[in-house]
Amino acid sequence: MNMTTALARLLIFPGLLFAIPAAWFILWVERKAVALMQGRIGPPFMQPFFDFIKLLGKDTPPRDGIGGMLMKAWPLIAVSAAAGAVGLLPVLPSSGGFEGDLILLLALLEVPSMCIIAAGFSSRSIFGEIGSAREAVLSVSYNIVFLLAILSIAASQHTFSLETLAQLPASPLRWLGVLALLVCLPAKLHLNPFSLPNAEQEIYSGPMTEYAGPELAMWELSHGLEWVAATGLVATLAAPHVAFGWLAIFIFVAFSFGIVLLLSVVASATARLAIDTTVRFYWQVTLIFAVLAISSALLVRFRS
Amino acid sequence: MNILAMLWKNLWGGSRTMLFPARPKVTENYRGLVRFDPALCSGCAVCKMRCTAKAIDFKSGKGEFTWSYDPGQCTFCGRCVDGCKAHALHQESACPPVYTTIGELKVAYTVARKPPAPRPAPPAAAPADAKEQAAPPAAGGTE
Repeated sequence: MNMTTALARLLIFPGLLFAIPAAWFILWVERKAVALMQGRIGPPFMQPFFDFIKLLGKDTPPRDGIGGMLMKAWPLIAVSAAAGAVGLLPVLPSSGGFEGDLILLLALLEVPSMCIIAAGFSSRSIFGEIGSAREAVLSVSYNIVFLLAILSIAASQHTFSLETLAQLPASPLRWLGVLALLVCLPAKLHLNPFSLPNAEQEIYSGPMTEYAGPELAMWELSHGLEWVAATGLVATLAAPHVAFGWLAIFIFVAFSFGIVLLLSVVASATARLAIDTTVRFYWQVTLIFAVLAISSALLVRFRS
Repeated sequence: MNILAMLWKNLWGGSRTMLFPARPKVTENYRGLVRFDPALCSGCAVCKMRCTAKAIDFKSGKGEFTWSYDPGQCTFCGRCVDGCKAHALHQESACPPVYTTIGELKVAYTVARKPPAPRPAPPAAAPADAKEQAAPPAAGGTE
């Protein structure tokens, strides 16, 4: 991947130019689906875009010192990292990529979460700090499973390149890994039943409590981009590989849409769990599952 | 999996949100706007004292009094209605109307004071001891 293609992927497709509208669309689909399942009307199609524009036009309270600068920096870092993660997705067949881009994608996907933790603590609000502490605990719980699931997929197919993974036919072990990834997505995207860090009605919006205006708009955008990257990652791993450009894009979008709907159903069917239950769920139930996946992946690898 | 069946039903059942002119149906005992009947009011101002939201105001004048009510401040708790011994207040069983200007629904009644009711004749002096002359009949008489 040379500099031009890298920039094109980051800025145009599947990067910012595609990913930002996609992020708004996914946010709308999630909100609308949850609303319909709860017997409400739900937001109009353009609502996430309106929200973004409205927030951009608002003022933020002046904040002095390092704390204020950090509070401005965290959302920007989160957005850039999430956009970078989206840019790495191999939506188009033979679109480049390099050995190890899966690891880079995982690292970039983790950055917004760390920024949220840091933002909550730099805001020095009690709600922000509680939210950040919850996010930190949650992140430690689901990430083990998330990483093990990815590792098991990579180990079973002998590669860390997303492009190669997308082209290889899916093995039963990969499906096990994809399932484990799906279990982690609600926690990664702060959806019910794992919406602890931004628990509304409880700690306001957790780390975002002190944010307003353009900074909050950036957080919303980074959340949307995280949605695109996370659903895109699962769609890449789960969708069948086709050689035609448009068909590939269509399948990718359809799979992402299906994942968003699935997560919305889970979100509206469940209530928020307490932090100890969540941690127990990931450490006791899902971890065993992920360890099984990775150990069988390694076994298969050494026997072949 | 009852919740999934419920979600499925909701998904195809349309939304329950009502668009503006439509109002939800209310039950018979719904506590809506407070209505005042000047003919029954005795002017005791208990309703004003019981109104914690300060929606009811009572001003006493010479030979008359003014009773006013601001639904914008009312919490529809019904304490005034409960406290009205003369049954001059009741609550509508309908949703409060939508209004656009402050104080639009405010109402005020100026009511002439009724001449005090003639005191009932004191009960015939009981020949027995004074212990029997308790307060209840006397208190009833002042009403």
